[in-house]
Amino acid sequence: MAAPPPALLLPSILLSCLCASSYGFILFSSLQKTLVVAPSNSTLLNNLIRFLLDEIVSLLFAVLKAGADDITVTWGVNQTLPAGSDSAYKTIKVKLCYAPVSQTDRAWRKTEDNLSKDKTCQFTIVSRPYTSGNNNQSFTWTVERDVPAATYFVAYGQSTDAHKTTNLFEIQAITGRHVSLDIASVCFSAFSVLALVGFFMNEKRKARRTQGK
Amino acid sequence: MSDIEGSPGSSMHGVTGKEQAFAFSVASPAVPTDTTAKFALPVDSEHKAKVFKIFSFANPHMRTFHLSWISFFTCFISTFAAAPLVPIIRDNLNLTKNDIGNAGVASVSGSIFSRLAMGAVCDLLGPRYGCAFLIMLSAPTVFCMAFVSSAGGYITVRFMIGFSLATFVSCQYWMSTMFNSNIIGLVNGTAAGWGNMGGGATQLIMPLVYDLIQRAGATPFTAWRIAFFVPGCLHVIMGILVLTLGQDLPDGNLGALQKKGNVAKDKFSKILWYAITNYRTWIFVLLYGYSMGVELSTDNVIAEYFYDRFNLKLHTAGVIAATFGMANVVARPFGGFASDRAARYFGMRGRLWVLWILQTLGGAFCIWLGRANSLPIAVLAMILFSVGAQAACGATFGIIPFISRRSLGIISGLTGAGGNFGSGLTQLIFFTSSRFSTATGLSLMGVMIVCCTLPVTLVYFPQWGGMFLPPSRDIVKSTEEFYYGSEWNEEEKQKGLHQQSIKFAENSRSEGGKRVASAPTPPNSTPNHV
Repeated sequence: MAAPPPALLLPSILLSCLCASSYGFILFSSLQKTLVVAPSNSTLLNNLIRFLLDEIVSLLFAVLKAGADDITVTWGVNQTLPAGSDSAYKTIKVKLCYAPVSQTDRAWRKTEDNLSKDKTCQFTIVSRPYTSGNNNQSFTWTVERDVPAATYFVAYGQSTDAHKTTNLFEIQAITGRHVSLDIASVCFSAFSVLALVGFFMNEKRKARRTQGK
Repeated sequence: MSDIEGSPGSSMHGVTGKEQAFAFSVASPAVPTDTTAKFALPVDSEHKAKVFKIFSFANPHMRTFHLSWISFFTCFISTFAAAPLVPIIRDNLNLTKNDIGNAGVASVSGSIFSRLAMGAVCDLLGPRYGCAFLIMLSAPTVFCMAFVSSAGGYITVRFMIGFSLATFVSCQYWMSTMFNSNIIGLVNGTAAGWGNMGGGATQLIMPLVYDLIQRAGATPFTAWRIAFFVPGCLHVIMGILVLTLGQDLPDGNLGALQKKGNVAKDKFSKILWYAITNYRTWIFVLLYGYSMGVELSTDNVIAEYFYDRFNLKLHTAGVIAATFGMANVVARPFGGFASDRAARYFGMRGRLWVLWILQTLGGAFCIWLGRANSLPIAVLAMILFSVGAQAACGATFGIIPFISRRSLGIISGLTGAGGNFGSGLTQLIFFTSSRFSTATGLSLMGVMIVCCTLPVTLVYFPQWGGMFLPPSRDIVKSTEEFYYGSEWNEEEKQKGLHQQSIKFAENSRSEGGKRVASAPTPPNSTPNHV
């Protein structure tokens, strides 16, 4: 059984701004592009990620290792918009979302327009209260060990293109295998087989002895 | 009735069937108790128990019963152990729906072949070693899950673990050496039902074990691998218990099996011929694929279904999925009981109707399960579906012993294989491709169940009738003796080889229902006492 190929995960970081309780369910398509988020990678490759609330500005390829590498996300209000347009935002949530190539044949990661049913973004990078007027707040997130190998895309696609092929980066997941586990497995298996053979030979020997008497 | 020890089909006698089955003790005075034997239970002349005391562990009979059903139960646990953990495994191994479906198919396919081989192994080595060999040699396959790192590996390991389901054969074979054939029906039926429960128990056990291991500090992708050590160790423990505490026969072990000379007095080619040329065999192979088969398929998909569709926690989905399998403890015996009850009033026609009703209702509830949008409705539909399908399994084996007397063993084996084949087929069609969701797959499977149960309307016994047709009016053909005697040619009849079939024919007259009392004696039937 070979090691898994370093699957290309394009994590897409979706910055979703959720106003606490005022709205009912929220549609992806209705999220507005009012924030600019720029994550930067502190190790490996350089990433330039600027988020608009539902627009990806740009993202370069990066390979990140689960459990070892970090993503730093910085965000601020899109300067081109009139001031005060972000006054309604209460919480900012940055999420890691699956790209289409990692969604094919996997209905448990399906994208639904109704946000409460959507399963595209299953990992929250950060969630904190939003303070307006303060550009370039940032957060450094260590890619967690339960993040599976997959491809993610940034945002919902209105930003880059409809196909969500840009601004993706890769996460190489851990296999979960350990040498100690492998060794234990071999030992237990060997014990099972040897115990069986041992019993069998023993009984055959006893039967032969009683017959011989 | 005295069977030749080890003759083909004898191990399957009364597999939840008739032959005065479903009794807790042998009431017939025709079976004398051997008073010289010193066993905890009353025994017959072969030292087989005449009484079935469920909660006793007395050596050797009841101890055998418990060792046997728990071994079978353990193999069910390991075969379906992956199912409740699929939401974790699919992320670790980057599985697609296709991979998951194929693994499910693989897990039930292996035992089609291993069950066929197990009969021969039991004949050669005895059921104790048959069981122990299988359970201890399949333990490494369970431990191998720790190595799996790709879809291909996952499918391969599940295929290999699936071989262990052949313990069903060793279980039934072993019981038949320990229990008188007059109560073997209930004994085997209980063992089969309780063993099948493993498919439900595993949905409870595995998420719980996984949870504990995670809390102890392991990451999810390691925790599920460690969790597999639990069923693996159970294999080893049960194997050792079987070897140390079990014995092949009431009087001792393999050395006492001097009756090997009597094995297979009948020709294998002949019994195979009569099995496959009887059209009823194939109807029941198909039917069992849509009662037992869909039960196995559902064991594989139901936890993941509840987890995804209703956004439940892993172990909540496991609890719900477990109730599906656990219903076996009462549902399967209930099916047999209902079949027996109907037979008392309506004979074989009643049995056929009961089977059709139970299995079709099961299919209807399966359709409902796929369509249910709220959790309580889905759970209700699932429970009703489980009762329908599992009771149908019990009812099926209420009819199987009557299809043929000569080829009973092979027909039972073919039916069992049909169950696994049906499971593989339904998983392949409905739960492997992404063309439709699991919910739609369940509903379509329900439709297929209803359709594939219809052939039972074609089953017709000239002596008893079918679902819609009354028994034949032909004086000769409408006798049980004629039906069972027709499996023997003249030459064999001259030699008197068909005597047991004739005895069976007499005993089966109760399948005529309440009209039996007024049946005329046919003029030229074989005399009862030659």
